[in-house]
Amino acid sequence: MRSPTRSAIGLATVAAVAATTAACGSNAAAPSVEPTAATGEVVFWSALSNMDRVAQAFNDSQDDIEVVFESIPSGPDGYAKLSTAIGADNAPDVATIEYFALPEFVTSDRLAPLDDYVSEETLSEFNEVSKSLVQLGGNTWALPYDAPPMMVWYRQDLLNAAGVEVPTTWEEFEAAGDAVLDETGSYLASFNANESSWFAGLAWQNGSQWFAAGEDSWKVGIGDAPSEEVSALWQRMLDAGTVKAVPSFTDEWTADMVEGRAAGVVGASWSANAIYSRVKDAGQEGKWIAAELPSWGEDIAPLYGGSTYAVPKTSENPAAAAKFIEFLTTDPLAIEARGDSGSAYLAASALTEVAQEAYTTSDFFANDIWAVFDDAADGTSNDWQWGPNFGITSSAMQEVLTDVGPDGALIEDFAAVQERTVDGLEQSGLSVE
Amino acid sequence: MTLMKPAARVRSRARHRDLGGGGRTAALFLAPFFALFLLTMIGPVIYSLGLSLFATKKSGLGFGSSPEVVFVGIENFVAVLSSESFLAGFARVAIYALLYLPTMIGGALVLSLLLDTAAALFKRAFQLLLFLPHAVPGVIAALIWVYLYTPGVSPLVRALESGGISVNFFSAELVLPAMVNIAVWEWTGFNVIVIFTALQALPREVIEAARVDGAGPFRTALSIKLPLIAPAIGVALLFTSIGALQLFTEPAILATASRAVTPTYVPNMWAYDAAFNRLDLNQAAAASIIIAVVAGVVSYFITRINTKGGRA
Repeated sequence: MRSPTRSAIGLATVAAVAATTAACGSNAAAPSVEPTAATGEVVFWSALSNMDRVAQAFNDSQDDIEVVFESIPSGPDGYAKLSTAIGADNAPDVATIEYFALPEFVTSDRLAPLDDYVSEETLSEFNEVSKSLVQLGGNTWALPYDAPPMMVWYRQDLLNAAGVEVPTTWEEFEAAGDAVLDETGSYLASFNANESSWFAGLAWQNGSQWFAAGEDSWKVGIGDAPSEEVSALWQRMLDAGTVKAVPSFTDEWTADMVEGRAAGVVGASWSANAIYSRVKDAGQEGKWIAAELPSWGEDIAPLYGGSTYAVPKTSENPAAAAKFIEFLTTDPLAIEARGDSGSAYLAASALTEVAQEAYTTSDFFANDIWAVFDDAADGTSNDWQWGPNFGITSSAMQEVLTDVGPDGALIEDFAAVQERTVDGLEQSGLSVE
Repeated sequence: MTLMKPAARVRSRARHRDLGGGGRTAALFLAPFFALFLLTMIGPVIYSLGLSLFATKKSGLGFGSSPEVVFVGIENFVAVLSSESFLAGFARVAIYALLYLPTMIGGALVLSLLLDTAAALFKRAFQLLLFLPHAVPGVIAALIWVYLYTPGVSPLVRALESGGISVNFFSAELVLPAMVNIAVWEWTGFNVIVIFTALQALPREVIEAARVDGAGPFRTALSIKLPLIAPAIGVALLFTSIGALQLFTEPAILATASRAVTPTYVPNMWAYDAAFNRLDLNQAAAASIIIAVVAGVVSYFITRINTKGGRA
């Protein structure tokens, strides 16, 4: 710890230096204003690809902080590892947490708030949606890395064969599905019951609020009216055969794409890589286009996926950790160093340009996918919040949606998911309205 | 000791060599086992017992306050046992066992009896071939079979379709038999080795006596060999039943491809889901203890049936 007098002198010096060197820009003064010196070792856990290179780039760019990178499993295994590590006090200083999992870590008191380490100026670099998802209960708990807008990818040749335009409303989407099925025999989209945040995004777009933190209790709206409307639409399309219930990223899903049985994918900006890697040898170059989600009439832009960086509560070096997180999320060097790791649409909007340059397969698609990303991301967040334990909702969805398909009952299914979620949250001691 | 009379000392030394000396040597050899056993088995069991009696409770919205760890007694056990999905998991395991045990043990028995007949050719080659699937790690086996079950990808499904049979192995009805099939493929060879070894150890004079008495190979197998290898079958049955209760790999891998396999499909997956998806270690501990107790009870009854059968 610094002694108060030394800090005072330090601050006075800084003020003097800042006053005299104001013309040089704020960069020179910034480090000394922080409450504790940002030096030392920072252990960084992530499941994202190429993050070792980013850590290396940070180490090369300065001498005060040494980042040690460790790769961890993605998905539930990774969160379990992180959660237990924080409990056992051997957690990293910087962890990668997806938006939907962040409130779970916050309400379990496993993270350190970043308010003391991150300036308003830094926060202002992030777009509204991503910022609203990392600020909970009046504190900033993480900085957002990417903010992938939910969107649709179509096989343009199949749409043309069916004589339909890119649908702009869900009504048109439903009709396009019928036409595509009649003319080409392909289905227009898959229903991905395996990804709970997938359907959440679709409900979010229609103004549903699955979770809302009230004054002192949570409100759960998984079965609310907008959500029911979305369920009804997808059930109709499942019944008609224009949508097929198949888990995403499975062999069956891939085979349908490769063999042209899938005329579209409801995904996100990052789906570009998922599609490219699956169909690049299937002669589908120049056949796929990116498009905004069809509209329900409101201007809501949901995210599907996306990660944040947070500092576990047990970190002994939060100042240095926050410094590194700032680099990860706002420095062009960090994006450049990661190289071509997919079409990342970043929360700090100014950096997307850098990611676009690093991405080498934009030409595979028939339209300007980056322009579509911008359009798709343009909209409000509608105060969407993820719940204090989305794992409960995810598990409930997997349990309930076993017979999703033609003649299923999505509305009833989601009513059951709602019930199980409320039960689970109450069991963990939280108050639910 | 030193005050003992010579004769007594001799006797005592003799006894000593049997019990004390042997005991010491045995203890020396067993110590590493027990040390590891305590560390990796008993320790965790005690730890989970402790975990299962507590709960981590959040409050209000959960923001800004630390969750409390409170003693809840048997509340976790009640919650686990009243969970519909946990009980459904046991029902699935029961159906699985009903399909799996007779198919696998029956198959292994028939194959080993066939191998044991004098007429069988290439015994070694067949033994090796039957055993080969068991050499494939369980996860890999499940992945291979998922590929073979996947519609649109699998040559098997395609061949059936071209023959006019359309099956969806991932449907709610067929996914359990599909798991049984993977397990049968994986374990039959192993149990053939166990039973065949028992058959090889049978006294040849008994079988010769049967032949002299006019029993054909069929009769010999049914009336002579089968009763004599009952203990070996019992052991195979015991291990297989416990294995069935611990069913995890096959459904966990199939869950990635089939919607019909939920994250809580079998009790072990329920515990895994509680620990790693819902992040509730306390309920996961309670569920694990319940599974262990059930496994203990099942093996107790099977060993009892075995010993009774052996005496009769």
